[in-house]
Amino acid sequence: MTLPARGGGQAARALSPAFEGLFRTEYARVVGIAHRVLADQAEAEDVAQDVFLSFYRAHSADAVYAAAWLHAAAAHAALNALRGRDRRSRREAAQALPPDATALDDPAELVATSETRDEVRAILARLPERSAAMLALRYAGLSYAEIAAALDVRASSVGTLLRRAEDAFRRELK
Amino acid sequence: MNETEIAQALGTTEPRVNTDDALARFRERVETEGIAPVAPVVRQRVSSRWLQGLAAAAGVVIVASALTLSGVADSVLKIFEPKNVVAVPVTQGDLTYLGQACAGLAPQQCLGGYGTFEWTSPPQPKEVQSRGQASAEAGFAALAPASLPSSVTGNPRYGVINRSSATFTFSADTTRQTAARQNQTAPPMPANLDGSKLFITGGPAVVQIWGAPTETTKATGATGAYPDVPTLVVGQAKTPTISSDGVTVDQLRAYLLSQPGISPQLAAAIRAIGDPSSTLPVPVPAELAISHPVTVQGVQGLYVGDNTGIASAVIWQKDGMMFEVIGSFNESQALAIANSMR
Repeated sequence: MTLPARGGGQAARALSPAFEGLFRTEYARVVGIAHRVLADQAEAEDVAQDVFLSFYRAHSADAVYAAAWLHAAAAHAALNALRGRDRRSRREAAQALPPDATALDDPAELVATSETRDEVRAILARLPERSAAMLALRYAGLSYAEIAAALDVRASSVGTLLRRAEDAFRRELK
Repeated sequence: MNETEIAQALGTTEPRVNTDDALARFRERVETEGIAPVAPVVRQRVSSRWLQGLAAAAGVVIVASALTLSGVADSVLKIFEPKNVVAVPVTQGDLTYLGQACAGLAPQQCLGGYGTFEWTSPPQPKEVQSRGQASAEAGFAALAPASLPSSVTGNPRYGVINRSSATFTFSADTTRQTAARQNQTAPPMPANLDGSKLFITGGPAVVQIWGAPTETTKATGATGAYPDVPTLVVGQAKTPTISSDGVTVDQLRAYLLSQPGISPQLAAAIRAIGDPSSTLPVPVPAELAISHPVTVQGVQGLYVGDNTGIASAVIWQKDGMMFEVIGSFNESQALAIANSMR
């Protein structure tokens, strides 16, 4: 089978002002959502880059759903990345210093914090997708209206769904 | 545990980001990878091309991954019999590219660029009147969901596809001629690949469709805003198999994955499949869908959903059968339907 040549040599266009505006407005929020799931800033920023790239390829920056799409994609992409982590690497990460706990001085507290963080990530990976995404969005600071838009549920249902997600989270947490 | 404690468990340290640096990194990536933004006019036509590309990608992915094996005996040997399913991310670029290459062609015709695809027993779908009749025709008990969401109403229509088989023979001449017609040069085909055969079997299969238009609903438009879109499709089929008459599989894999239509990312994803002889790769559009493993009917399956939560699919393999549930549901609804199959 032969296929036509890919047009890879074509120079990419400059980013549109609308896209740059969207990026500047939403980047920190997208990283924040991914960071709630991954607890690793570098990984969360990698996810955010991929999310914006996916959006850039397929959607107009002027789309009314742009922010909601980015928020949902950040949660789902981060959960996918979390589930894709090798169990062994997660154990190793639990032994290492937590990247976001550098302010802690007590080694015992560091290990305890790291173990809790690892357990929390394992729970997020086990929870149903929507529950895990809902927790990530809510605890990243999104409003009920923003969560409803991102997860395509009624705003009036968010409170109930969030409580269920929190209950599921509590049950899983030892 | 209260909300504050949950917030603490999920991590309260907000990351400090440098948006300017991030935007510069994004800009550099777009430029170095030659990524173009979506064009609004093209966007109108994405749907049909996307589906066409997905079909082509599915064919290439399944065949290519079936060949990622560590050696095949000289005699006919079963090299592919899936016992589980895994997602293989396929980008819009892959889909568009393969869609262009196979425009207007069925996947097997698209594969015809490599050699000769011949049905020894072609699939002949037909409609039957009941699940019992479908089971009798298929030779296995067709399972059906015991509970359905309120959005799924009415009786299903039943389809049966017979057990089908095909032979694919690789041909260096065909490959060269196809390339020449397109003014291109194909990568040289290894000598022992030329003339080697794959034996492919699939089915029988039973398909149950809720919300499919009938003659009455077609006339009255009674199925609502999307009269041609079924609300639920449930598929069940005997697990497909691929056998080989003794090609060097490592060479096959290297040859197929080096083809210009398969991106390095897609090739890497196929190579990363843990046990390709027993894993069915499901192409998942990377930008438009999410996927992750799920437990369904007590086994590991695959959930695939679009990013908006509008459509879902659950695919799994159990007891020598492949199952799929597809419809306009969220994940929990799709899983509830799948787990209620009896």
